[in-house]
Amino acid sequence: MNDAKHEKYQSIGKPITSWKRSPLLFILIFVFLLLPLIITNPFYLSIVILILFYTFLSLSWNVQGGFVGQLSLGHAAYAGIGAYTSTVLFMRLNLSPWIGMWIGGLFAAIIGFAIAYPCTKLRGAYYALGTLAFSLVLKIIIENTNFLGGAGGLVIPLLKTSPLHFQFLDKKYYYYAILLMLIGVIYISYRIMNSRCGYYFRAIRNDEDAAKALGINSIRYKILAAMISAFFTGIAGTFYAQFILFISPERILDPGLSFQIAIMAIIGGRGTIAGPILGAFLLVLTSEITKLLVGGRVMGAELVLYSLVLMVVIRYRPQGVGGLVTEAYSSIGARFKNGRMKAGQYGNS
Amino acid sequence: MQIIIQALLNGILMGAIYGVIALGLSLIFGVMKIINFAHGAFIMIAMFMAFWLWKLVGLEPNLSIFIIAPALFFIGYLTQKYLISGLFKAETAREPIGVLIFTMGLWIFLDNVILMIFGPDFKTITSNYAKSTISIKGDLILPFPLLYAFVISVLSIGIFYLFLKKTTLGKAIRATGQDREAASSLGIDSYRIYNISFGLGLTVVGIGGGLMCPLYYVYPFVGDIFALRSFVIVVLAGIGSIGGALWGGIIVGIIETVGAQYITATYTEVLIFGIFLLIIFIRPSGLFGIENE
Repeated sequence: MNDAKHEKYQSIGKPITSWKRSPLLFILIFVFLLLPLIITNPFYLSIVILILFYTFLSLSWNVQGGFVGQLSLGHAAYAGIGAYTSTVLFMRLNLSPWIGMWIGGLFAAIIGFAIAYPCTKLRGAYYALGTLAFSLVLKIIIENTNFLGGAGGLVIPLLKTSPLHFQFLDKKYYYYAILLMLIGVIYISYRIMNSRCGYYFRAIRNDEDAAKALGINSIRYKILAAMISAFFTGIAGTFYAQFILFISPERILDPGLSFQIAIMAIIGGRGTIAGPILGAFLLVLTSEITKLLVGGRVMGAELVLYSLVLMVVIRYRPQGVGGLVTEAYSSIGARFKNGRMKAGQYGNS
Repeated sequence: MQIIIQALLNGILMGAIYGVIALGLSLIFGVMKIINFAHGAFIMIAMFMAFWLWKLVGLEPNLSIFIIAPALFFIGYLTQKYLISGLFKAETAREPIGVLIFTMGLWIFLDNVILMIFGPDFKTITSNYAKSTISIKGDLILPFPLLYAFVISVLSIGIFYLFLKKTTLGKAIRATGQDREAASSLGIDSYRIYNISFGLGLTVVGIGGGLMCPLYYVYPFVGDIFALRSFVIVVLAGIGSIGGALWGGIIVGIIETVGAQYITATYTEVLIFGIFLLIIFIRPSGLFGIENE
């Protein structure tokens, strides 16, 4: 009885109903574990690392923007705080970024609280503009703080191969670091989604007034989601700093990054787990492949294509492309189960 | 003292242009409940049109705005009709996020298409008109295009105000903005009103962009600066408030020019965003908005 009830609740707004038992998930993890053996060229591996990095960011955003439905356009602020915190701790106090990243995440979560608390009253577009303004103010302040390198940014001192300080010469270790982080955030997203807290989040997203009427402290849960989201985004910031070994307000605190994070999750399908992953893959791949093909001869070409994909997806699949894949997957799965799998049926579904 | 008066005057005159640009955003925001993130891109397109009309035909921006404004009306009308309208029908939410993301895509698209075609160079209009100045009492020197822009901006805002208050179409637009369902039940075709509103929003953007052209340099991302200003002004003034857009613009213009006399330009930016945040927390309906919703 209890189990049946649980199943019923799980189906509400949930894209993949049988993740735990899904063989696809394990195949995917296996493929990704072996990927650096196939892609040995550091240049291509860097692109894969960037894709995973953006996937991580988009999943982090999703905790707030997807689960609770608050459209944050200021997530670059959290990434920036994470990157700057761990870098400053590393440069000034020689603290390993492996530790600094947690401090950076916590610090980002605190700032997340400071931004989310006054913003709880704002809804929809106002929330978006409020978070955007906060991140812009932070960017301008850091640009004018000499201690943090100002607009020129900070170059992280290279210690050659120093695993203790989150620095590797071989790109594949960065790959495994971000892959591990990604699996972590997917797992935690999944756990949040299926917890009591996750149901509260969804209730607030669907109808905040109704959720309040049921006794859910919507302000508390909105702030909680913002803080979790900020924490992970801050951690991603540290990864970025250690991978690129250079941070500047223009790169890690720019509203452009905030927009990109939100766009990826929305294109994929916010509020789901597969959605933000697919969205990040689709968009980052589009722009990286265009960059490879055009090779900087035509300025802005990759962004033209990127925005075209974005507009077409939003126009024809406003709920994101994630739905397409899960529909296809579950219909194929159903056919396998019923033993009615016939050639040529893919196209009809 | 002289410098402060000069700065104040510059701020007021510049602020009026900000106001007319923000009005375009305010109208679209007020009627359709969406933030048009492509706002900056349309300002940029208006400025590019003004530049090329001068470069190719030799038409000064004070005259070319009469071509740019109707052209942008059609661009807006068609954008709404063929690109955005379908999204509205697909989404039922009062503040459709899909539309917002779509305009974001449109913004990136337009900025980069222009970058691909015209390159990243800064362009300026270097005609005698653009350089002409007027001196008042011998000491105060004002660029003539700025003065002209001020007059046209205030006039357009005035005409726009009368249009929305007095004409049937204006009333229909306001009704749709206040309550779409009720307006529809009274026989107003809300999608047609949306098309017209988007067109009108871009018309004023066209006027503002054209007027701004001789005062600024033109490049593919020039609109972003003015778009951010517009967001601040719209929230400061109150969404949908026509007169408020003018006052909001002037307030921002004064903060910018007078503030620059005392603190660095980057901190005037912080000041502007600080005021913006203060307004949305303390008085979300804006300084001149009506307290409803």
